[in-house]
Amino acid sequence: MNRRTFVVSAAAALVGRAAAQQAAAPLPEAIRNLKPMLDGIKPIADDERHARMEKARALMVENKLSAILCEGGTSLYYYTGSRHNGGMWMLPAKGDPVWFVPEGREAGTRLGEVRSYGEAEGPYKKVVQALKGAGRLGIEERARFAVFDGLRKEAPAMEFASADAVTIGCRAIKSPAELALMQRANDITIAAYQAALACLREGMTNRDLSGLISAAYRALGTQGAAMANFGKYSAFPHGSIQPQPLREGDIVLIDDGCTVEGYQSDITRTTVFGKPNKRQTEIWNLERKAQDAALAAAKPGATCESVDAAARKTIVDYGFGPGYKVPGLPHRTGHGIGLDGHEWTYLVKGNKTKLRPGMCFSDEPMIAIYGEFGIRLEDCFYVTEDGAKTFTKQSPAIDRPFG
Amino acid sequence: MQQTTEITEATYKERIGKLQQAMKEFGLEAIVIESGAAMTYLTGVRWGRSERTFAVVLPAKGGPAWVLPGFEEMRARELIHVGENDIRVWQEDDSPYQRIVEALKDRGVTSGRIGIDESTRFFIFDGIRKLAPKIEYAGAQAALKAAGVDLTQGVGRGRGGR
Repeated sequence: MNRRTFVVSAAAALVGRAAAQQAAAPLPEAIRNLKPMLDGIKPIADDERHARMEKARALMVENKLSAILCEGGTSLYYYTGSRHNGGMWMLPAKGDPVWFVPEGREAGTRLGEVRSYGEAEGPYKKVVQALKGAGRLGIEERARFAVFDGLRKEAPAMEFASADAVTIGCRAIKSPAELALMQRANDITIAAYQAALACLREGMTNRDLSGLISAAYRALGTQGAAMANFGKYSAFPHGSIQPQPLREGDIVLIDDGCTVEGYQSDITRTTVFGKPNKRQTEIWNLERKAQDAALAAAKPGATCESVDAAARKTIVDYGFGPGYKVPGLPHRTGHGIGLDGHEWTYLVKGNKTKLRPGMCFSDEPMIAIYGEFGIRLEDCFYVTEDGAKTFTKQSPAIDRPFG
Repeated sequence: MQQTTEITEATYKERIGKLQQAMKEFGLEAIVIESGAAMTYLTGVRWGRSERTFAVVLPAKGGPAWVLPGFEEMRARELIHVGENDIRVWQEDDSPYQRIVEALKDRGVTSGRIGIDESTRFFIFDGIRKLAPKIEYAGAQAALKAAGVDLTQGVGRGRGGR
């Protein structure tokens, strides 16, 4: 899961307060000792981006699209390396890309043509002109309805469809360069978690722990955040905003990740502050078994839904569930991950997409027992010819979060 | 994430009532709104956008219907105080668009025009139109503006995960 945007924006006040407290009290040694871990990273090269555009063009032909249109966000970044916003970018099946930017603004990259538009006229007429008012345009999934609405008014003869087949077709399969960046993001997150979990103390709040993880990421040279939940609040997939002072015997669950060159990590560790009891240990071991079952099922050619089914079966066989019922696994087993913390495609019932080498997923079949606690272990993996390979060493035991 | 406490339930009902008037004026049978500024202003519910559809259907006649992810129901119920008697959850392998179309149908909307808030992401609109091709989809901005909906608060972000 991935809640860092929430932590960063909506709870900025809380984080700010935590930061202010930390400014007063020096950071624990475990955090202070961290050093940047970004040495030697290789950003995605232009050649790779050109290859992505070529693949997109082939997929457009296959899916009968004349072009795809992005408004901004991660698909735009994927193809162009630009975080440009406030305009649009079009990649035609034939020919160079086209930027549509407000007058007086520069395009996100030098590659391709630039067509500026006045604020009053808006970009839609220019987009339609570039396509000569005909054909079938694929709209990137997160573009606003306003884009579709503006275009169709200018070009009633054109057809507007989803660009998913193109964007997902490209983005779902990661290259070695992408895997290397994701590997680094995962390594950094493990280092941040190790340092932060070394600082657990009686009475600290879940927000204190989140603050320490953020501080760890800064020390490691990147940006990231984490949700932390203690005790019974660990049962809620997205935690709780209730203040949670840490007590002996509490479950401690931390989840989220960081970003390296736009690529995301997403890791969850669950442990106990103090000595785990029998029930906590038993459920933790079951969770690990479910996680293992998903990994074993994640072979090339297997369907996404079969991976979910394998993890879920382990949990249902124990007597939880069935389906999404709690106590049990209230959500899918995992999500795709890359430039977005959650992206296509998903390890969920009904998804018959077949796993292919290079696909990346989270494996997090949590066990939620409302009123008691929740256990979630989350490691991300990529599919190889030989099966799933995790970016991180799985947690070996409830009292040993790191392998 | 705390809801604004000064605004009462009655205020939200009044705001929705005003929008219903505007819908009649602009010939809209309903407006579909995903989480964002319009939802926050009209219902007080601030919910981060994620790949999982979280929407409210506001018909010109009748009460709101909510469509949201099954495993978020408990957390959502803490926030929803308008239309809480019609919350429709979709489980991970269900279609949220199906739920939206069902909600429209239950309010008597199977044809005619419905409004889509312009900030709605294309995939949500695309999912709805595929299931209900007889409906005409129009931008809801004129009606939202006429009803005085404040769209400057921005989208609540994150909190989408898992």
